[in-house]
Amino acid sequence: MKIPRLLLFVILVALSYFIFKAPGIFLKQPIPSSLIVMYMFFAVVTILLWMTSTEEGMQGLIGPIKRMIEDPGKKTLRNIIFVIVPIVAAGITYMQLRPTYEAPVELRSIHPAPPSTIKVFGKTFNLMTLENPYRKLEKEDPQKFAQLVKEGGEVYFKNCFYCHGDKLDGRGHYAHGFNPLPANFTDIGTIAQLQESFLFWRISTGGPGLPKEGAPWISAMPVWENFITEDEVWKVILFLYNYTGYVPRSWAK
Amino acid sequence: MKKKLLLPVVLSLIISAQAIAAQGNKENGKIIYDKKCWWCHGEKGAGDGPAAKFLNPPPRDFTAGWYKFKTTPFDEITPADEDIFRMISGGMNHISLWKGMSGTSMPNWDDVLKEQDRWDLVAYIKSLSGLEQPQKPPISYSGQIKSSKESIEKGREIFKKMCVECHGEEGKGDGTKKLKDDLGFRTWPRNLTKPWTFKVNNDPKEIYTRISNGIPGTQMPSFADPSSKKTLSEEERWHVANYVASIADDIKRPKDDTVLKVIRLEGDLPSKIDDPKWAEAQPTSFYFIPQIIAKERFFTPTMDSITARAFYNDKEIAILLEWDDRTKSIPGDEKAKELAEGDVLEDSVAVQFPVIIPEEMEKPYFGMGDSAKPVNIWQWKSGTTSAPETMKLMNANGFQKIEQRDAAKAGLKAIGVYNNGTWRVVMKRPLATEEKDKDVQFAEGKYTPIAFAAWDGSNGESGSKHVMTTWYWLLLKPATPKSTYIIPIIVALLVFGGELLLVRKSKK
Ligand code: HEC
Ligand code: HEC
Ligand code: HEC
Repeated sequence: MKIPRLLLFVILVALSYFIFKAPGIFLKQPIPSSLIVMYMFFAVVTILLWMTSTEEGMQGLIGPIKRMIEDPGKKTLRNIIFVIVPIVAAGITYMQLRPTYEAPVELRSIHPAPPSTIKVFGKTFNLMTLENPYRKLEKEDPQKFAQLVKEGGEVYFKNCFYCHGDKLDGRGHYAHGFNPLPANFTDIGTIAQLQESFLFWRISTGGPGLPKEGAPWISAMPVWENFITEDEVWKVILFLYNYTGYVPRSWAK
Repeated sequence: MKKKLLLPVVLSLIISAQAIAAQGNKENGKIIYDKKCWWCHGEKGAGDGPAAKFLNPPPRDFTAGWYKFKTTPFDEITPADEDIFRMISGGMNHISLWKGMSGTSMPNWDDVLKEQDRWDLVAYIKSLSGLEQPQKPPISYSGQIKSSKESIEKGREIFKKMCVECHGEEGKGDGTKKLKDDLGFRTWPRNLTKPWTFKVNNDPKEIYTRISNGIPGTQMPSFADPSSKKTLSEEERWHVANYVASIADDIKRPKDDTVLKVIRLEGDLPSKIDDPKWAEAQPTSFYFIPQIIAKERFFTPTMDSITARAFYNDKEIAILLEWDDRTKSIPGDEKAKELAEGDVLEDSVAVQFPVIIPEEMEKPYFGMGDSAKPVNIWQWKSGTTSAPETMKLMNANGFQKIEQRDAAKAGLKAIGVYNNGTWRVVMKRPLATEEKDKDVQFAEGKYTPIAFAAWDGSNGESGSKHVMTTWYWLLLKPATPKSTYIIPIIVALLVFGGELLLVRKSKK
């Protein structure tokens, strides 16, 4: 069966609109409406160009409209449509002009590039070469390693769980008060992508230690250098990987 | 005839469901418990895990053998297995992203643990206090009275007699008693106007269950117990449940839209708190979280949200802050002393703005600014029995660098009133001040970062111990320009004209 061209046009336009709206509906990350208007403009132009690229396509699109205007038998239908179209046009214009006062969109980099060295715990660390001193015990002394993981868990459940969650899913019982939300360690987009030295940097210097593109003024991640020891930072990192089952990215990869 | 057949079928279904539960595998339960639960509930289930120190309410002590949210009657200490299973699974109620028990750190586990695993946990947890199956079945809801105006009215009367001593005149949990649970921890009666803070939820059936069975381990009593002075008939319990469900106040629930819109008024701004004009302002609510970011941290908050409304005219801005606080804390007041944890300190509220409204997104650090970018803090304090309420103005470059300034000189004023569990404070300031490099200058249509903080003086809150928000937005909403209405009409006319042209052309 061949779909009438005019109907096809309407379906394609509606489909593009839905695609642009989908991130907002399903992921709660809406595309700003000004961007949607722009995207829709390009989508409609592209669809029109494509559909009118042949004479036949052109006719298929314009034919029904022409017939409706010219055929005296369709006069009532024509009048109805002629009233509806200006009203819809006015409505769309009003929706566009109407001020909405949504919160401004702020783009930030979630994993900004780390500095090459950091100064914490009264020492300077070279992040390019820094490694978790306990990582090697995983193979060399599994029993000792398990003990360290457990100690790291205690650090986590004294300091981190109320933001990053009892399930490490970034949904602690105070997470709803923060924007950006605390990182979700079970998501493949966070620690699974990162090196332990990156975590060491993020944990010891917290939100205020972020570079400008990380928007340090809004990240609620505390400066853990002020609360826990260097040793505890390494242990809590062991725990994060152990609990989620991810492996840290290494220099080799 | 059919009905009679149905009953045994249903009964046997219930029994077989319990049989499945009873089959829960303790050993597997323990394995999961040792990975996921012990951090809070303790290695042996005594509620003393490493996290416990940071929590109020504390994690349940499973060796004690009582459960708060159960459907078995008041005289049956053992909950149904389904009750425990349900509390582990969660999802009955939620605050924004939190689907566990509201106001506690107990999360929902249905997203990470399979159903059988959760039954296994039930079996293991029960074994920690040697609980068997309950002797009595869950209470019945067959006598449910549908909510109606009459029922709610009757419920209101019962509530006044039976519940206000703990839950307060308007149900905001601001009763006249200092309550402790059976283990000696401070407990706060629920604010019944905020159903999203219920540990279960405010379905009348749930409320009925709580009233009938009580909340074991706490002072929330059973009203079905004939031996108590506080007995209510089944019918009365339904009425009061319907009433409680009816007093939910959705305005106080924070929503996705977090721009506080300041509405333009011609003429004077309301300076009284009870001015009916405030009803025309647009309320916006924000979640409070305790200050857990910098030293000294604070983990036992009593206040969970704040609602703001604001007006401006060509001279001034007025902000009405409204937040539920169970205690009016006036140092020196005898009644306040009875309810307080420790010394009575002043209640307080503050708003924070950047001194310079950023053009780009770069703001001062939300925690009292930073060395490069200062913030203004407007702080109101409730006063003592011997000193009146005060309004302070501070400029801060981080919490260690605070400059006290003269609020009156900047034209900053405030008044506060406490009524039935709610503080209302109005703050006012001219849009522009003389010290332009020291005070935020408000301008129409400009997105201005704003943050809030509050202190409950009966809960030991002062200095860095308080509840707070991070940055949100305040916007002096411009009057809608006339063109917004005129241009669409012109567009409609143009389109219509185009249509007429089309018709004419086709007729040729
Ligand atoms: C007050 C809430 C809070 C607490 C407590 C907290 N964090 Fe965070 N954390 C955050 C926020 C917010 C972010 C930032 C997410 C972002 O920038 O997108 C974050 C980010 C992180 C990151 C960076 C993840 C990434 O993908 O870049 C790590 C690692 C981290 N936190 C570890 C910890 C550890 C370990 C603790 C406990 C010692 C802890 N956090 C405690 C709020 C918190
Ligand atoms: C982050 C801390 C934390 C973790 C982890 C945690 N709980 Fe809880 N749990 C709590 C707190 C706090 C309460 C008490 C809430 C109250 O008293 O209102 C609680 C209460 C409970 C209750 C009692 C419900 C009732 O009706 O009285 C059960 C059952 C329970 N938890 C089971 C579990 C199980 C099973 C796990 C592991 C899968 C778990 N908890 C993990 C903090 C936690
Ligand atoms: C002696 C004090 C006291 C009295 C009287 C009292 N309550 Fe409570 N109520 C409490 C406390 C304390 C809690 C919180 C318990 C907890 O969660 O730890 C509570 C909690 C509740 C809850 C919360 C349920 C949930 O899901 O979170 C409801 C509903 C409730 N009460 C209704 C009532 C009603 C209705 C009455 C009168 C018929 C009443 N209460 C009388 C002390 C009291």
